[in-house]
Amino acid sequence: MDFWRRAPNPWSQDVLLGVSWDLMWAAAIAGVAFIVAHALWSKVRAGPGEDGGGAPGSPGSGAGASGLAARVLRHSLTSRLFHWVMAASMLVLLVTAFFPVLGLRFDWVSVHWIAGVVLLATIVFHVVHSTVVRNWRTIWIDGSDVREGTAELKHFITGQGHPPGKTGKYATANKAFHHAAVVVGLGAIVTGVLMMFRIDTVFWAANPYILGDGMWGVVYVVHGLCGVALITMTAAHVYFAVRPDKWWLTRSMIKGWITREEYLTHHDPQKWAPEVGEGATGASAGSAADPAAVA
Amino acid sequence: MAEQLIGVDIAPPDLVAKVTGRAKYAEDFRAEGMVFAKLLISPMPHARVRRIDARRALAMEGVVGILTADDITPVDAPGEACLTMEPLYQGEPILAIAAVDETTAANAIEAVNVDLQPLPFALDPLQSLRPGGADARTEGNTYVRTQESRDFQSLKWPRSVFDDAPPGTLPMGEPQTEWTIGDVDAGFADAAVVIEETLSHQSLTHHPMEPRSTMAYWQNGKLYIHTSTQSVARTQAAIAAQMDLELDDVVLIGEYCGGGFGSKITGSPIMLVPAFFSRKLGRPVMMRINRYEEHYVGRARPGFQAWTKMGFRSDGRMTALDLYIVQDHGPYGLSGDHNSAASTASLTYQPENMRFRGVTVYTNTPPRAAQRAPGGGAIVAMLEPLIDKAARELGVDRVDIRMINAPADNEAWMGANQRPLTSNFVRRAIRIGADQFDWAAKRQLSGQRQGTKATGVGIGVSPYSGGSSGFDGLIVIRPDGRLYIHQGIGNLGTHSFADTARVAAEILGMNWRDCQVIWGDTSQHLPWSSVQAGSQTTHAHTRANHAAAMDALAKLQQIAAMDLGGSPSDYMVDEGRVFRRANRSRGLSFARAAERAIELGGRFDGHELPEDIHVMTVGSATGLAGQGLMGVAKDNYGGEGAIQSWVVGFARVEVDVETGHVELKEYLGSADCGVVLHPRSLAAQIHGGAIQGFGMARSQKWVMDPKWGAGFANRFYTARPPGILDVPLEMDWVAVGEPDPQSPVGARGIGEPPLGAGAAAITSAIADALGGQCLCRTPLTTDVILAALEGREQPFSILDAHV
Amino acid sequence: MAVIRDMIPAFELFQPTTLQDALALLAEYGDEGWALAGGLDSFDWFKDRVKRPTAVVDLAGIESLRGVRPWGDGIEIGAMTTLTDVIENEDVQSRYGLLREAASHVATPQIRNAGTLGGNLCQDTRCWYYRSGWPCYRAGGNTCYASAREAMNREHCVMGARRCVAVNPSDVAPALIALDAQMVIAGRRGERVVDAEDFFIGPAIDITRMTVLKPGEVLTSVRIPPDYAGATFYFEKVRDRQSWDFALAAVATAMVTSGGNIQRARVAVNGVAPYPVRLENVERVVAGRPVSEETAEAGGAVATDGAKPLRHNDYKVALLENLVRRSLRGTEA
Repeated sequence: MDFWRRAPNPWSQDVLLGVSWDLMWAAAIAGVAFIVAHALWSKVRAGPGEDGGGAPGSPGSGAGASGLAARVLRHSLTSRLFHWVMAASMLVLLVTAFFPVLGLRFDWVSVHWIAGVVLLATIVFHVVHSTVVRNWRTIWIDGSDVREGTAELKHFITGQGHPPGKTGKYATANKAFHHAAVVVGLGAIVTGVLMMFRIDTVFWAANPYILGDGMWGVVYVVHGLCGVALITMTAAHVYFAVRPDKWWLTRSMIKGWITREEYLTHHDPQKWAPEVGEGATGASAGSAADPAAVA
Repeated sequence: MAEQLIGVDIAPPDLVAKVTGRAKYAEDFRAEGMVFAKLLISPMPHARVRRIDARRALAMEGVVGILTADDITPVDAPGEACLTMEPLYQGEPILAIAAVDETTAANAIEAVNVDLQPLPFALDPLQSLRPGGADARTEGNTYVRTQESRDFQSLKWPRSVFDDAPPGTLPMGEPQTEWTIGDVDAGFADAAVVIEETLSHQSLTHHPMEPRSTMAYWQNGKLYIHTSTQSVARTQAAIAAQMDLELDDVVLIGEYCGGGFGSKITGSPIMLVPAFFSRKLGRPVMMRINRYEEHYVGRARPGFQAWTKMGFRSDGRMTALDLYIVQDHGPYGLSGDHNSAASTASLTYQPENMRFRGVTVYTNTPPRAAQRAPGGGAIVAMLEPLIDKAARELGVDRVDIRMINAPADNEAWMGANQRPLTSNFVRRAIRIGADQFDWAAKRQLSGQRQGTKATGVGIGVSPYSGGSSGFDGLIVIRPDGRLYIHQGIGNLGTHSFADTARVAAEILGMNWRDCQVIWGDTSQHLPWSSVQAGSQTTHAHTRANHAAAMDALAKLQQIAAMDLGGSPSDYMVDEGRVFRRANRSRGLSFARAAERAIELGGRFDGHELPEDIHVMTVGSATGLAGQGLMGVAKDNYGGEGAIQSWVVGFARVEVDVETGHVELKEYLGSADCGVVLHPRSLAAQIHGGAIQGFGMARSQKWVMDPKWGAGFANRFYTARPPGILDVPLEMDWVAVGEPDPQSPVGARGIGEPPLGAGAAAITSAIADALGGQCLCRTPLTTDVILAALEGREQPFSILDAHV
Repeated sequence: MAVIRDMIPAFELFQPTTLQDALALLAEYGDEGWALAGGLDSFDWFKDRVKRPTAVVDLAGIESLRGVRPWGDGIEIGAMTTLTDVIENEDVQSRYGLLREAASHVATPQIRNAGTLGGNLCQDTRCWYYRSGWPCYRAGGNTCYASAREAMNREHCVMGARRCVAVNPSDVAPALIALDAQMVIAGRRGERVVDAEDFFIGPAIDITRMTVLKPGEVLTSVRIPPDYAGATFYFEKVRDRQSWDFALAAVATAMVTSGGNIQRARVAVNGVAPYPVRLENVERVVAGRPVSEETAEAGGAVATDGAKPLRHNDYKVALLENLVRRSLRGTEA
């Protein structure tokens, strides 16, 4: 398997063109392998007749349990819209990036860069929204996440350590995925924007010489690596989204809410207490779609 | 009576070999143990070789060795070596590898790793002259020669020079060369019409049909070299000098040359690669140059970015000519096309006042060399449409304005030195050309439209150097009764190696079938000769052979007088015999005379030689001594003034106003080149040169990517020399035929001027078809013409180089 | 790696005598194989070592790929028929003069003697950046050197660009599009037929290919229906030299007229886009109108809709308009 595509430039200097498309297959295979392994192992760990996801705990009567509505708002409509627009643009980006490599020929470049611009716009919105309006700390990993995450992973793999406990709004795995997505997505976007300078767009005429050959090679490699990583990550993400034990989360991304029981089962009110204000804001935002979310 | 040999059509002795393919060119030779070399050429326009790793290549089966710049004799800057560690243009050879076959050598080249450090480069002279512009050479961008010193200089003009020049106008900073005759300002003050234009002319590769392949080997310390060269004797001398060898230690074989046009005057640097390589390997080395490589190492005509201002009185007389030329010099040498352009302009128009300013700038583009009418051909192609413009504005006929400005006789002046000419009949050439072309009728067609086709008629007056003198002739009449004419000049397809030899046969009254021309192999005892360039040969070697024949004639007469009585002047020659004028039967055959010469020895058979002949001729004559009656002499005929020939071109074109397509309908060249030696050969020069001019005027140029310094016009189909369909069906010629009084034969050379005539007639005719609009650039490609017709922006600025 | 040009490296040469054998060989060698027609394009690539197949499958020995034969009321021309044979064919001369004219504008007589109809259609672009072996998009790289601001793109495209700005160089392609021809393609999975205009693809679809031919497929013949046989034809190619030069722009027009009116017309151009372009907007504008200067003007005016010249080829816009206009005047060329 080749990792890089290289070629002599007009001065016969060996330069990087990008990642080898073999990596696309490697990423796809890695994604599938992860899914299969995870699914099988989950079965094995859980024993017959039970799903490995397991419930972290029972809906005990936590400190914040009292006064909770039947449905707890988890994702505001804005957040959900962001997520799905981002997901759609990401899917378009992946399809337009990799399907032509697979031999499915169509005019992909314009769609790809436009989807990229949409993705960039949603991310800019998300960054502003999550820092100004929302609390970005809910998704940020801290020291306890690392300890918890390590223990949970150990438990999942070996049975030692302890099973996932109740978490804040986002479980450690969610946070880790988000962090990875931030890194990979940012890599793809920054390099993608640079690459847009090489084609005619509504913003500017093509100029392949804003960077030197060597730097372009790095840009293409980073873009390619991020691109193929996104194949694996998207596969894993979709897999978890459709797992029955994670359905409550997926539903919350569609409808906005989780049930009180789900809240109490999975979340530690100490770590994530849906504030009334927040809930109210979210509720009003989600009200049209989902009046049930109103406490 | 022996047949007439001057002024008649006689097929040259190499004709059959050429048309049957039996003629052996340099790459057709083979030698025992011969290996093939291939070149590794620089991909960068300017770089330093940091490291060469040829281990993989040298380990390949069949590879026998490598030659790098370390293996060759160094050359002082700004001279050009055959291999370099600091390539100054894309395509410059860095090293060569030899292998038992060419494919292996090529594969081995691909396996070499050369680590190159890119260096700043300049493709466009004007860019290099800007403040902060890159210099093509690490030492500078130009070379200054003064009486005190000669050195490189990094010449930059102040920013204001560029800022003050309106777009499309040549910025004119401090020149390197400047001369003035009279007072141009006064001339312009006198003028009824003043014309001022920025002009451009693009560089173009020579692209002779035969690339410069070479095969070399060494035997007993002597270098044997088969190469493609215009000149033979002088190439031998050049190789000896460049390889630190005695003249005797170089044997050069170059019987045929598939075109040179100035790119192979004494061969070119690349021919030394097999010479050095075969010495290193101890095996014969053949290096075939392919078309791609030929583009890079094969020389090119320098481009000009220029400006002119011309003043004319109401009668059309040019009162002042102001000319500024920025010459694109390429990376090596000292080329003076801009100077030739200025002196050609001065000669053509005899301006009452003239100023010339010029700068020549090194660029990282393939090396330049003289190309057929260097400087002169380009300048008349640029200026002739402007002469038309003046004629139009003044209401003077376009032929008349040329007549009035063309020199009337040999009291003309040219260049800063204001030399007169040996003779000059250009006005007659204009007149007979105009008559034969039927100018009076054709000019009525000017601008006429038929459908989308607009007719234009044009004239191009083109002088160029047509001779030199002082070389040696060497002939031998052997006891077989035949005349052997030894020619040190080359055979580049012009027939002059044979045509100039016929002078000797004519003087000696011999039939051509009894004569043999010895040429193309320096082991065959060749005399010191002119370079086969600058249209020197016809003039120089009709004279040299004339001198040698006169020497032989005198010796024949002396032998006859000795043996048969009377005085030498009582005897004359014809049909291979020397006999008494009064009694034809009383005489000797040349065969017998040759035997007698051998018996007599001394100066008769070459054992005693004139003192003034060149050392090379001494060697050759000594080698031939005792073989027969020898005629050997230096051309001491003398003469005063510059030797210039002229061609006046007349062309009719049709320009399609919807496509910019130009069709040449007819062309006529009218020559003033003294006595016509060989009409068919002259026609070939007048027409062939014109066709080359058509290419320069219409289609040939370089195209280089400015970011990478890489050239694209490196194949025939991208270099675009004219094809047969670009040549008019009707091509005619006429010649004045007036002998040059300062030469015993009266013939001048004619290689160069036809090019300018062809090119200028076309640029003039196209401007005429466009209603007098001079686009002032060559080549006038389809897009340039169409953009002008459509009033759209030109594809390139007039000052853009290599586009 | 140092560059060697003008010198063909070794390859294995196969000279099959049946199409099946040729297809089998091409399938066997995959990316390493190369179908060779007249060689005028192929050998350029081989000589410059930019394309280096290890197996070359010479189609010259396959008799079924040669010759002109009836096809219904039209004709079918084997892809390996030389351009000279196309030009000299009586049917082509009498009924499809447009093709004859286009074919006779290809390069030189020597090249037409060796070059084939199929080869002319399938030839690669002459973009000099691409031909120089630079790692451009078309060569699988990341750059279009020719569209860069400082690039030399006088000969490149004014329409149809998508990252790559090269042009299709074929002279016969626009003529066959104007004649509404069909291309017959053979592959291991059998035969398929595509319209001439769909045979060529632009960089938007596949930046590394000029035609729909997939690796291992071979163009076997061209079928020309009778629809435009004997119509009013116009072909013109504008080039810098009158032989051995590619079109700066070329136009091929076939018009069926009746009573001085254009019943229907097909107009195709080349040298202006990465693929030969059928100008349907021109066809629509002129259909049903009288053959006249006004109609020609109207057609020419829409010929360059959407054209976007590069820095150095603005002249092509005017050239294209003028050529299309000339082609609609009803005078043959």
